[in-house]
Amino acid sequence: MSTTTASRQGAATFNVDRPGSHRQHEVLRLLPGPLLIFILVFLGALVLIPVLYIFLASVNSDIGVANGEFWPSSVTFENYSKIWTSVGLATGLTNSVLVAGSTAVVSAALSISTAFVLVRYTFRGRLTILRGLLALQSVPGTLMVLPVFVLFSSASTYLGIQVIGTQWGLFVTYLTFAMPFSTWVMVTYLRGLPKELEEAARIDGASNLGVLFRIVLPLSWPGIVVSGIFAFLLGWNDVLFASVMTRPESQTAAVALQIFGASQEGGAIPYYGQMMAAALVCAAPVVILYLIFQRYLVGGLTAGGVK
Amino acid sequence: MSTDTPHEVRPAAESAAGRAPRNTNTTGHLPGRKDGPRRKGMSERNRPLWMLIPGGVLMIIIIVVPLLLGIYMSTLNLDQYTLRKWVSAPFIGLDNFVEAVTNSPLLHAVWLSVSYSLLAMVVTLPLGIAAAVATQNAFKGRAVIRSIFLIPYVLPSFVVATVWRTMLQPGGIVDEALGTVGIHVGLWLNGPQTFWTLVLVQIWASWPFIYLLALSGLQSVDHEVHEASALDGALWWNKLRYVVFPYLKGPLALAFLIGMLHHINNFTLPYVLFGVPAPADVEVLPILTYVTSFQSFRFGLSAAMAFISLVLIAIPLFVYLRAVKLDDAETPGAKK
Repeated sequence: MSTTTASRQGAATFNVDRPGSHRQHEVLRLLPGPLLIFILVFLGALVLIPVLYIFLASVNSDIGVANGEFWPSSVTFENYSKIWTSVGLATGLTNSVLVAGSTAVVSAALSISTAFVLVRYTFRGRLTILRGLLALQSVPGTLMVLPVFVLFSSASTYLGIQVIGTQWGLFVTYLTFAMPFSTWVMVTYLRGLPKELEEAARIDGASNLGVLFRIVLPLSWPGIVVSGIFAFLLGWNDVLFASVMTRPESQTAAVALQIFGASQEGGAIPYYGQMMAAALVCAAPVVILYLIFQRYLVGGLTAGGVK
Repeated sequence: MSTDTPHEVRPAAESAAGRAPRNTNTTGHLPGRKDGPRRKGMSERNRPLWMLIPGGVLMIIIIVVPLLLGIYMSTLNLDQYTLRKWVSAPFIGLDNFVEAVTNSPLLHAVWLSVSYSLLAMVVTLPLGIAAAVATQNAFKGRAVIRSIFLIPYVLPSFVVATVWRTMLQPGGIVDEALGTVGIHVGLWLNGPQTFWTLVLVQIWASWPFIYLLALSGLQSVDHEVHEASALDGALWWNKLRYVVFPYLKGPLALAFLIGMLHHINNFTLPYVLFGVPAPADVEVLPILTYVTSFQSFRFGLSAAMAFISLVLIAIPLFVYLRAVKLDDAETPGAKK
């Protein structure tokens, strides 16, 4: 690092170059051209070949997939019309959207108010809560699934509230498990907001709630979107809790696909085409969400993960 | 918690003065906390701590209570007959733990989990760094490449597992492709090679995470550093090794910890890839815990296993929590 200060004068001459000029490019260059191209092609192929395969297999016949065809010998889009009933994807997607969507909205709302208090006020136990938020992100689901299941079935035994098998049980579970990360994302986001606006609003007579709703909330949409999307993904991607706590009519898409895949074992040729079509349909919303909000999400992820 | 609903309005200056005397005695002994007067214009009476209640209640009911319940259950002889009335299940002390350690595949599962996580990490690190270094400089189409690199990370685990499960079927596309170059691997989804299958698929799914964190590290490299090494005429390899990589140490150490936690906790990938009961060579901790609960119905034993895996996880988690600065407003990304 000592080179930094030693080269100040040299740096000044280089700064004359316009950004984007050839010289500038040479300075920033990290890898020789051929190696760069090799890395890009290798990793690009590593990612794209399986992704392309999902699509190709989804329009292929089951025999074609079983025989290891990459390019389908006969193309059919039938799989896409069958999966809604055969895999149960119609029910599954409805439940997934319902559960993951409401998880996202409620978790974003809760995490912004929680983060607001954690960032803008000092009180005893604040650091413990912050540390707890980080620690709870890493509690393994397999550790929690049995006790949560027992707790929920006790709710029906002792309180007469049926939780297991309903979307409510999943919603509450996902909401809780999404909270630590969502709140942490909001904490890192709110820290970056200038305090001066809030102080000005307070001088003008705004209450705490007023500051939160009139000042903080309108400035925080990027953070809210990120924490909401991560909560959505948690619900959308979960198999563990959904496989234990749902009945066929409350199944999420993840479980529907997993059960369909597992039930294809043995006997005739599995419905590979439908499996791939269903996988693609389950992945599509997630991929689209990412592409739309990519910039925010990458920032939010590294913020949530690194800091 | 909150006694007053804070609708009263207080001038900022007055309240700042009001809370000045107590700014050191809250949690001042903890690292990362900055002492000294802060310009937070809030009085103590005017803190809306009630906003913490909804999230707090949820986390207590759904995380803390079940956690304690799980620890309690690990001391019970709990099976499908006693589960309904688990409160009155026979108490057997530490027997479940003794059985888990001496007479169950638990130690094998711990070994599998740790070695698989490490192996996957050892391969994903160079892949992720290479990807980050390669996409650091602007070139035409870089945005597209960056989006493509993120795809495996974006795809849900159950989709990744379903797809690879199909591709790795005997006689499937992978066998076919390897067959054309004369490689015959044998069964991927059954038998002793399943361990390597799991490692490979995990690598495919998780290298973009390393890539993301390495990228954030590269972005902190000052422009002047590039200029300095250009002036010195440093070769690209030396520049990477001695100038750029030191910047990556922090983010990558963190990526290593978080990645290890992800791998060890990963249930969905092995579960969907191999199904349950899983082949013995991929019976990693989450799978073993799950199978013991929901296939063998040995709930007490499973709770004991879960508790032991929590202890295992606590090691990297503890390092992680020590490494993270909780209160860094000034030095983002810093890790000391």
